[in-house]
Amino acid sequence: MAACGVAAVSTLVPAIGFGVVTASILAVAGVGFTLQFGVTNILNLAYGDIMTAAAFVAYLVTAAGASVWLALAAGAAFGAVFSVALNRGLYTPFVRRGIRLFGMIIVTIAVSLIVQNGLLAIFGANFFSLRMARPASVHIAGMVFTSVQLAIIGIAITAMLLIHLLLRYTKLGKAMRATATDPELARNCGIATDRVIDLAWAISGALCGLAGVILVMNVTAFTDTTGSTFLIPIVAVAVLGGIGQPHGAMLGALVIGIASELAAAIISPDYKDVVAFVILVIVLLARPQGILSEIATRKEVAA
Amino acid sequence: MSTPADVILEVADLRRQFGGVRAVNGASFTVPAGKITGVIGPNGAGKSTVLNIIAGALKPEAGTVSYQGRDITGLPSYKVARQGIIRTFQLSSEFAALTVLENLLVAAPAQRGEKLWQAALGKQYWRSSEQASVERARELLARFEMAAKEDEYAGNLSGGQKRLLELMRGLMAGPTLLLLDEPMAGVSPSLARRIEQHLLDLSGEGLTMLMIEHELAVVERLCDPVVVMAQGRVISQGSMAEVRGDQEVLDAYLIG
Amino acid sequence: MSLAWQFYISTVLVYLGVDVIACWGLNLQFGVAGLVNFAYIVFQAAGAYTAAVLTLGPAKPARLGGFQQYVGGAHWPFPLPILAAGLVGGGLAAVMGSFAIRRLRSDYEAMVMLVVSLIATSVASNQVGLVNGPNGLALVPKPLASLVNLSPVDYQWLFVGLTAAVCLCVYWLVHVVTSAPLGRTLRAVRDNEQAAAALGKNVTGLRMLAFVLGGVIAGISGAILVEFTSAWSPGSWLYPETFVYFTAVIVGGSGNNLGVMVGALLVPVGFLEATRFLPQFGPPGFIDALQWIVVGLLALTFLWFWPRGVIPERRRRFPPVAEARAPRSLIRTRIGR
Repeated sequence: MAACGVAAVSTLVPAIGFGVVTASILAVAGVGFTLQFGVTNILNLAYGDIMTAAAFVAYLVTAAGASVWLALAAGAAFGAVFSVALNRGLYTPFVRRGIRLFGMIIVTIAVSLIVQNGLLAIFGANFFSLRMARPASVHIAGMVFTSVQLAIIGIAITAMLLIHLLLRYTKLGKAMRATATDPELARNCGIATDRVIDLAWAISGALCGLAGVILVMNVTAFTDTTGSTFLIPIVAVAVLGGIGQPHGAMLGALVIGIASELAAAIISPDYKDVVAFVILVIVLLARPQGILSEIATRKEVAA
Repeated sequence: MSTPADVILEVADLRRQFGGVRAVNGASFTVPAGKITGVIGPNGAGKSTVLNIIAGALKPEAGTVSYQGRDITGLPSYKVARQGIIRTFQLSSEFAALTVLENLLVAAPAQRGEKLWQAALGKQYWRSSEQASVERARELLARFEMAAKEDEYAGNLSGGQKRLLELMRGLMAGPTLLLLDEPMAGVSPSLARRIEQHLLDLSGEGLTMLMIEHELAVVERLCDPVVVMAQGRVISQGSMAEVRGDQEVLDAYLIG
Repeated sequence: MSLAWQFYISTVLVYLGVDVIACWGLNLQFGVAGLVNFAYIVFQAAGAYTAAVLTLGPAKPARLGGFQQYVGGAHWPFPLPILAAGLVGGGLAAVMGSFAIRRLRSDYEAMVMLVVSLIATSVASNQVGLVNGPNGLALVPKPLASLVNLSPVDYQWLFVGLTAAVCLCVYWLVHVVTSAPLGRTLRAVRDNEQAAAALGKNVTGLRMLAFVLGGVIAGISGAILVEFTSAWSPGSWLYPETFVYFTAVIVGGSGNNLGVMVGALLVPVGFLEATRFLPQFGPPGFIDALQWIVVGLLALTFLWFWPRGVIPERRRRFPPVAEARAPRSLIRTRIGR
């Protein structure tokens, strides 16, 4: 019996470790996704593919010989620029034209297909990996991490902290929260909502790009569909925590990240993705507004 | 107080809150048949909430709504409508991609061809019923002077025309009680006067109406009795003159 | 006409028929009733699997040489598997509708359906015992093939005839629904469900009706397709296929049955077939990737410039009535009518 307990702990504890890494990636991605929804009321289903694109940018940077840190910065920058351009050039014009909410979903899916297949056309159906130095192993409290994974966790914590500080304490953060709650009112109060929205997309786009790079840092190889398959857990995280609520997304990332890895350890590795699926379906059916928020019932998109 | 003999709608001790706010906090009043009953009160008094509860769009947490002696509390809005209580909306709610005439035809009650098996029986089965509805709709359009707009997409109408469409559509449904939520809000003064006249004519023909209205001058011209609400309760009910003299009402409105 | 051309054209015609039928079903759900069913392809797949299983017969165990595992099985003659496929499509829609048709925002609802679609493909691929996993079902016998002794080419044309017959039936169904007052009521619910409810319309019931009818039609389209191609696997019904149908409906004319016929001709058939004649260039899969990019761009372009499609929803006009009648009062005054 004691041996069983030891065996269980020796699989559970590392699983929790993996869970923390997954949760880190999910947190960065989820907060970005939920910010885009919160501030502009758009479910950006192209998010996963933008992550993949950023990963490819990082790949090109490392393949050219630069360091991984530069690749991270490049990925985040690409994400920011692409997302702002996407919102400015496509999403907002459609919204101004009066497109219905479900029309917007078709637009985002169209973008997702275009980006994903664009990457496929450029890079082919091959597998790629970032060129990094061999990571060292670190043992902490019975869990084994590579230095890369520790870096990912560190990056995620830093990013989350910065976002928290931004939203809570800066003028921009307050403006973003105001625009998220009531864009008309925010505008009438003198907030330059256009600029706030641009910045929100830049920040969330940077998170998206960053998430894409750390995602592929943690896998052996990636391809054009890697990001889009990650979209479901991201949506699950955002919805679980209350869509539009960044702190909820952080919480949701922890729950789903650890739960998936525990399921993989306890039941079977096949069940890693199922956990996110199942949680998402249950939340959407039972409590669509998630843990922390009330669903926005507003019908319009902030534009 | 009006005689209780021909009360068509009775609302008793309704309660409903949102978050921590008690929007409706024990509202009770009666609506007599054949008259225009006005509901007035300052902002936040709970008027729209009460209307929504009567119409079935909201469920009350406590209290009852009785219509023609039957308890209809908590019925979903489509069942309330089938009882004969038809409401209009404050914001334009036309069927934008349908023509004006089609908007009215949708409202026609007991139209043949709305069930699947009836549709499957083909045009011969429902054509005459639809023709009858078309005639009725055209009569309405003529009465409200919008016959020329019959084939116009409802979404393309002006704000005032949409208001008239809202009213016509409600009438097309053949209501025994019409609920009006600020029917003249945001409408030009001349159109407001026309709508007023329409409402007076309809009342003269015997239609019972319950109307939320802000402008006291309009209420004075149209409504008897008047229900005054404040802070989720009914603080007075009676003719405009009676209500005007009530100290509580004066306090609520802070007018001399 | 040469044999090769006959084979090719008859095949394209069958595919066109299947896509037209599918688009009519989607149009009923989306164009007329305003439901955004991003899991549409799942219903087509359910119909295809049903028809396949009911034609293949029970699965042969491996020791007898069987190589496919799946649930159920029977040897039903044509047209029973197709009818069963319709029923299964409708039944599945009834079940999913009771969860999915809720008062959620329409884009949230769309996302729920998308997730369902992804889960369905995943389950079908992973649970090998269900419908033979990622390899799918194959060697489905062609309907009527044993009864009539035709040359392969002649059988093709027979199948074209069968497809056309089913098309006519489905067209009758969507036509009677959309031209009757029922169609008008569905469109009203689409445009403003609160106002429709305030006029006495049972919004949930009506949506469910449109959803189930769409499911039935999707199932039938799947059955025809699988009876023709004799094979069906998860790769045939990934979520972008739903997107292709949506693009077809939008391009053709959402809300108009003739319009979506044109859409089906232009997008899934016309466009995807046209690339067949292009010379192969670039690495394998390159042209497919470009196809998807163009489909995406097509959807965006039409949503921007011509959101109502090539043949938009008709404006219904009513002819003037012959005789005039004395105006009647429109008010019901009797208490307790």
